[in-house]
Amino acid sequence: MRALADGPARRWRITLPLAALTSIALPRALHAATDAPTQRPDTPRVDRSRLPAPGTYTLPVIQPCPDGLVLNHEGRGLRLRQALGQRLTVLSLMYTYCRDPIGCPLAWRVMTALHTRLSGDPALSSRAQLISLSFDPTNDTPAQMALFGRDHLRDPRVRWQFLTTASVPQLLPILEGLGQEVTVETGERGRPTRTLNHMLKLFLIDGRRRVREIYSVGTADAQVIHNDLLTLMAEDPPA
Amino acid sequence: MSIRKRAAWATLAAVLPIAALADETCNSPYMGKLIKGQEDYVHVWVLGVKGWGDGNDKLVTVDVNPQSKQYGQVIHKLSVPGRGESHHMGFTDDRRFLWAGRLDDSKIFVFDLKDPTKPKLARTIADLPAKTGFVGPHTFYAMPGRMLVQALSNTKDHGGRTGMVMYNNAGKIVSTHPMPTDTIEGVKGDGYGYDIGINPAKNVMLTSSFTGWNNYMMDLGKLVKDAEAMKNFGSTMALWDLKAMKPQKLFTVPGAPLEIRWSLKEGDNWAITAAALTSKIWLVKQDAAGQWQAKDVATIGDPAKIPLPVDISITADGKGLWVNTFMDGMTRYFDLTNPEAPKETYSKQTGKQVNMVSQSWDGKRVYITSSLLANWDKPGDDNEQVLRLFDWNGKELTQKFEVDFKKLGLGRAHHMKFSAKPEGKAMAQAYGAQAAAPK
Repeated sequence: MRALADGPARRWRITLPLAALTSIALPRALHAATDAPTQRPDTPRVDRSRLPAPGTYTLPVIQPCPDGLVLNHEGRGLRLRQALGQRLTVLSLMYTYCRDPIGCPLAWRVMTALHTRLSGDPALSSRAQLISLSFDPTNDTPAQMALFGRDHLRDPRVRWQFLTTASVPQLLPILEGLGQEVTVETGERGRPTRTLNHMLKLFLIDGRRRVREIYSVGTADAQVIHNDLLTLMAEDPPA
Repeated sequence: MSIRKRAAWATLAAVLPIAALADETCNSPYMGKLIKGQEDYVHVWVLGVKGWGDGNDKLVTVDVNPQSKQYGQVIHKLSVPGRGESHHMGFTDDRRFLWAGRLDDSKIFVFDLKDPTKPKLARTIADLPAKTGFVGPHTFYAMPGRMLVQALSNTKDHGGRTGMVMYNNAGKIVSTHPMPTDTIEGVKGDGYGYDIGINPAKNVMLTSSFTGWNNYMMDLGKLVKDAEAMKNFGSTMALWDLKAMKPQKLFTVPGAPLEIRWSLKEGDNWAITAAALTSKIWLVKQDAAGQWQAKDVATIGDPAKIPLPVDISITADGKGLWVNTFMDGMTRYFDLTNPEAPKETYSKQTGKQVNMVSQSWDGKRVYITSSLLANWDKPGDDNEQVLRLFDWNGKELTQKFEVDFKKLGLGRAHHMKFSAKPEGKAMAQAYGAQAAAPK
């Protein structure tokens, strides 16, 4: 195995022996989930007492959500706009083996906390959904995404889709349209390593497929996003 | 002009400031890729001067890595058309694009820093006044996927009433937000704007207040003799509900409060600013009841001599503050261990006129530049135009290099931003390389 000099790559390497010890078939995704810091999923990142009440503010339209070809966890191709439908969507761009504690593991904690909240709010969960979309089509295959999301895919209370793409060329227009920049560390002969550099971003998308809020490390908080979902729902209450 | 300007500068009590958001410790909290080690490049937004080089405004890139053979040298310059009072810049949240504004013609230039050694002009936004009624894009503050731009003036009377404009990162307007003019809890808003400082954890945004186009573009000699014009300076700060983008509270802060710096230390809940005309440091902090309050906590130099504090730079641990005072060319260090009582512990004259001060994340390097505004910079030999780097060992500033922007025919050196060599390769490039590599 070649030497990997940088920090993130080293962190990734140390996961391999664990995988070997546990099970040869153990998906990397399980490591991504279990490697996350043992912080409670709903730990506040903001002073929630200072948040305005849902429905008392408006969320501006930031940009349209781009379309593109994606694959669901069964390998079926569909367009992103089909996956979005007319639901209020929290879209997390991620990759399953990310180890950056303020990257995908943080996004995962927020998404699972949102899942818990939606599970207890049938009115909202009937109109909202979660989507995790990988930006590593090479390693995050549909099967990998199915393993990664298996507990949540089976939960009928909350719609949570685990998507990937068939190739980098199919992924890039989606990333560009969302403004999510991702770079790849390269190793020998310029080959991409498994280390991706990216900023944590979660996108709140309305029923007309418009981005209404973008959350990063400082604002990726389940209460904040829950409030924003309720605010969007109040814009267009059910008949 | 020089005679008039000399007279104007002699009338120190009437001198007015403009400073800037600057360094690595003072970026938007939403920005990624903070440079916590050695920065590689400093980009300087430069005001063109007729007869100096091509005379145009330009973005100048200086190599500042001591390991480089080009250390301390200009490695790139990118001119933009004309002169429009270049002023401040700000990165987008992903640090890919650098937005740079001009206060006179209100144009915004968006530079692509994919290769920071060769910035490219990606976009020019020329319709800010027509689309919003605001003039003078000053502060460029990154938010996730968008830029919040604080203007200084307006199209109706070119006075100080103004607002903020939210753009998405593609340069489309998302929303506009007039500065408050209502009375909140007994304090009337003046409608003026200057800087933006956001504390995401508290869901609050602070704004400060300066003056409008009529004043900042006026010849200084004329301005200081114009008693009516001299009344038109900001004297408030506003605290906003960030999520709702609604002003919640106004503070009376006389004398044009300018730069806003939140302490970056985990758990701190205060911000600091400097009022230029009164030479005071103000603290904005939550009281025991959780209510935000503003109070005057220190004096900078001798206010009677109007040292004119312009830019400030807080250390990453929130325990120190650099303050540049334009008139005397001093760079001052304040101990902020107790933010309720900052104390000046060091000062050094770093130039004949100094405006911007930018420090590295580790606090070991301090950069200064020289230009305030085209019509306000000092005349004659005092009008030096430089970028200087100093090492800071905790006791003394030691100059490492100087780039003479006048000698090089570049222009007036104003705002600085740091960049570093990019991490990794773009996905398309990386996977293209993989396809071409032998199996």
